[in-house]
Amino acid sequence: MDDLDIEEGSDEEVEQMTAAEALAMVEKAWLNEKFSPELLPHKQDLVDVMLDQLNGMQENISRAKKGDLKASIHKMEIDRIRYVLASYLRIRLEKIEKFVHHLLEEEAELGEDVPSRMSPEELQHAKNFAANMETLFNDVVLRHMPRNLKKLEGSKVAASPNKDSYVFLQVQEQVDQVMVDTAGDQGDEAIDLEKGSQHIMRYRVVAPLINNDAVTLI
Amino acid sequence: MYGEKAVELIRQLHRSPDGSLPPFNEDGIRQVLEEMRVLFEQNQADVNKTVDGAPGLFPGVQLRHAALERNKRCLLAYMFNRMERLRAMRWEFGSVLPPDIKYNLSEQEIQWFSRYNKSLAAYMRSIGGPSGGGLDLTQDLKPPKSLYIEVRCLMDHGEFETEDGTILLLKKDSQHFLQRSQCEHLIRQGVLEHIL
Amino acid sequence: MFVTDIRKEFYDKVVHERVLVLVAFDVDALCACKILQYLFQCDHVQYTIVPITGRQELENAFLEHSEQVKYVVMINCGGNINILETLQPAEHVIFFIADSHRPVDLVNVYNDDQVKLLMPTTDDFDIPAYDDLFKDDESDDDSGNESDSSAPSGKRRRLDEEVLERRRERRLWEEKRKQILLDYEEFSTYGTSSAMIMFDLAWKMSKDSNDLLWWGIVGLTDQYINNRVERGKYMTDVGDLHKHTLRLNHRNEDDDNTVSVDCMRIYFDEELKLALYRHWSLFESLKHSSYPACKFKMWTVKGQQKMHEFLADMGLPLVQVKQKFTSMDMGLKESFKGLFTASCEKYGLDDISFGSFIAQYGYKNKLCAADVVYAVNGLMECVEAEKSATGYFLEALDCLSRQNVKKLLRGLDLAKRQLTTIMQTVHSFIDMKQIISAGPFLYAYIPEGHPDVKFFSRPNCLGMLAYFMQEAYVATSRSRRSTLLPMVVAAPLNAETGSALVIGIPPKAEESTKNFFGRAFEQAAIQTNSRTLHDNFDTSIIEMKSEDRSKFFDALISLLS
Repeated sequence: MDDLDIEEGSDEEVEQMTAAEALAMVEKAWLNEKFSPELLPHKQDLVDVMLDQLNGMQENISRAKKGDLKASIHKMEIDRIRYVLASYLRIRLEKIEKFVHHLLEEEAELGEDVPSRMSPEELQHAKNFAANMETLFNDVVLRHMPRNLKKLEGSKVAASPNKDSYVFLQVQEQVDQVMVDTAGDQGDEAIDLEKGSQHIMRYRVVAPLINNDAVTLI
Repeated sequence: MYGEKAVELIRQLHRSPDGSLPPFNEDGIRQVLEEMRVLFEQNQADVNKTVDGAPGLFPGVQLRHAALERNKRCLLAYMFNRMERLRAMRWEFGSVLPPDIKYNLSEQEIQWFSRYNKSLAAYMRSIGGPSGGGLDLTQDLKPPKSLYIEVRCLMDHGEFETEDGTILLLKKDSQHFLQRSQCEHLIRQGVLEHIL
Repeated sequence: MFVTDIRKEFYDKVVHERVLVLVAFDVDALCACKILQYLFQCDHVQYTIVPITGRQELENAFLEHSEQVKYVVMINCGGNINILETLQPAEHVIFFIADSHRPVDLVNVYNDDQVKLLMPTTDDFDIPAYDDLFKDDESDDDSGNESDSSAPSGKRRRLDEEVLERRRERRLWEEKRKQILLDYEEFSTYGTSSAMIMFDLAWKMSKDSNDLLWWGIVGLTDQYINNRVERGKYMTDVGDLHKHTLRLNHRNEDDDNTVSVDCMRIYFDEELKLALYRHWSLFESLKHSSYPACKFKMWTVKGQQKMHEFLADMGLPLVQVKQKFTSMDMGLKESFKGLFTASCEKYGLDDISFGSFIAQYGYKNKLCAADVVYAVNGLMECVEAEKSATGYFLEALDCLSRQNVKKLLRGLDLAKRQLTTIMQTVHSFIDMKQIISAGPFLYAYIPEGHPDVKFFSRPNCLGMLAYFMQEAYVATSRSRRSTLLPMVVAAPLNAETGSALVIGIPPKAEESTKNFFGRAFEQAAIQTNSRTLHDNFDTSIIEMKSEDRSKFFDALISLLS
């Protein structure tokens, strides 16, 4: 990335940051999403800004002359950023589709002012997906079942994220007194996470830390 | 034995290799549903008798109910796993299914597929806001290594127009050096093979 | 026209363009193609590669792919045919031709705009002067006058001296032109390997590496193994490549500079004329290599005894000799080469070794150039029905890459089968005395119905058979004249259409690779009205209807005696 093709993030929603910082954030969000078992809050603004940049770069390149080495390097960079973005959104979509019942239930329980994990578009897709699935099941089998079994009862059969799975993480900011329950009978134990250290921990324990950027998953 | 047919359905799906879809077993599903109907009627009769005071029928009712639940679970699992595979195919082949796969689908599954397509397309279009123009998530499935890659044509595909407007003929056993982004979907369709 | 600065006049021209690369079916072309691919990939030159078996396919491929293509590179094809006339290209299309076939078509040589020949100027072309071949417009008017003047009867008598004189001159000039063309096109032969030319280009661009050098070496070795280059020329080219080898493999011997075993190392070595012995057993290799096999006359009992004696003389136990070379006793393996050359001298096999190269990478892979040529050839001319001919072409192209060693190993096995079939065919032909001295040339016909006959439907394999047969015949024949005879071999090509593949090779005694059969075949076909197809880029290989064979050969005999 350099100053040639990318102007400063012009979007008002994202406070002043350079393109390089935005890219770093996208990459971090991508990795976190990739390694966390559950869906993390969406970063729609970031995605929008990045896409904007991409389109700008694309235009700049189309002006460059044929066979310019700089153009092909920039093009490569575009491809890589696009891959990160697409992969990030793809992973989210996969999780949304997989845990659709769980997520929609969670959504229903949310208070008015609590932000959703999904972006409005993602939510729409999740609703479509759930409805679509239900139609399919109803039409083919449920409709023909005895009357006390006609309901889908999604919560009984649907998958939900395993928050007890273990994740690799790197500490970005010092966090003290993180409660970790040990396997034995000693009960919980508090540990301090030193900045820069790396750990393997259960996801449930560190989930809140990811959201405020204190740790990143690797 | 109760539930045997339902398990057979699951086995059938399980046996078929990943990435393929065996024909929709409508007959099998009908048989399971029929079994469920019989079970349910027996249960009803027994429940009515119990209400009328006949003793000792309750364990039988419970057993049948468990079998009913199990059958339901199996049918749903069958449907769900087929749906999952179908979903994977959307990502692999794009919005148009190859005819040999379509042949193995039930009417309802085809409907599901087109609705899924629609929802996904709407979502992908919406990425990047109203002005962003969307992002095709089914592209860029693999991390890019280089801008250009060498590909080999595995079948006669006919003419192919690249982004910059040049037309080239993709003929079996010809070998090309192309921009990766342009031929990615052809590689996934099996028209081209990426040579390392 | 000939390109003098290959980098400026060829590479810099195509570097930002789309290029169509047409590649002929031989190992040298494959190697050249590999080098070019590497260069193009470095500079993001978009290209399309199409394998080409013959003239007909060249035309088809050009027609199909020519849309929007401005630059066409041809490797080992197209040089000896009139490109502009054959392909009728649009005026903006430019052809770059790296072709080792000689003679180069003269229109190609003298076309300055559309045809660029990538051939080293050091090659001996003997191109006739322009003025001897082409007359300018003035004389064209003359010929116009000629026909005009015959029409009005009144004027005919008034033809003055000058016109007569000019006509006479023109007739003379035309006769002379005909003679020059005849001389120029009399022999078909081969020039510098295309792989060498491409490696030279890579070197001039400072993009040469051991991998590219190896392809250059294999290309050159292909020419040598298949008798397409004279020994002197081969030695000069080997000398050239040897210098590159030293330069690219120059390392200090101290520990700090040792490189990982995975890196490729190439070094020059004297190589024995024993095909594939590192991947076979010594015994088998001796039996299947034409030079020792013919020297010992391996097909006789006496010859077999002599070979055993030879092995005993070397001090190699038969048990060792008959097992895989890799499994031989370490001690024997190391001292084997010295022992072998010493014994060879004693037994009159003076010519057993030639200068060649060996490449090594990893612990397992040690390959000599000649074996690679056999393997690539084996793969390229594989006759199994699993894939099409072009499919095997691509397999062969793949196996040249270092990461595809497995494919190369398969090629080695296929090559062994080729050699076994060749050896068996030669033995049975000698035993049954089926190689006939037809007068001006030796002649052998491989009958249909033999299970292995399909091997010989491929030009290169048929060529190997022809040379082996000739050598074997000369070795058994008592007459001295046999060394002076060229040879023609015919084999069935396609049983359904009843066609045969015919190849002609120059006499054994002849040091040069000059081959006059191209012209002779053409003449014989015209005289007898035989249905022949001169599709191969090597004019001494033709296809014909099997039914026409006898009258064709009668004509060929009378033509050459």
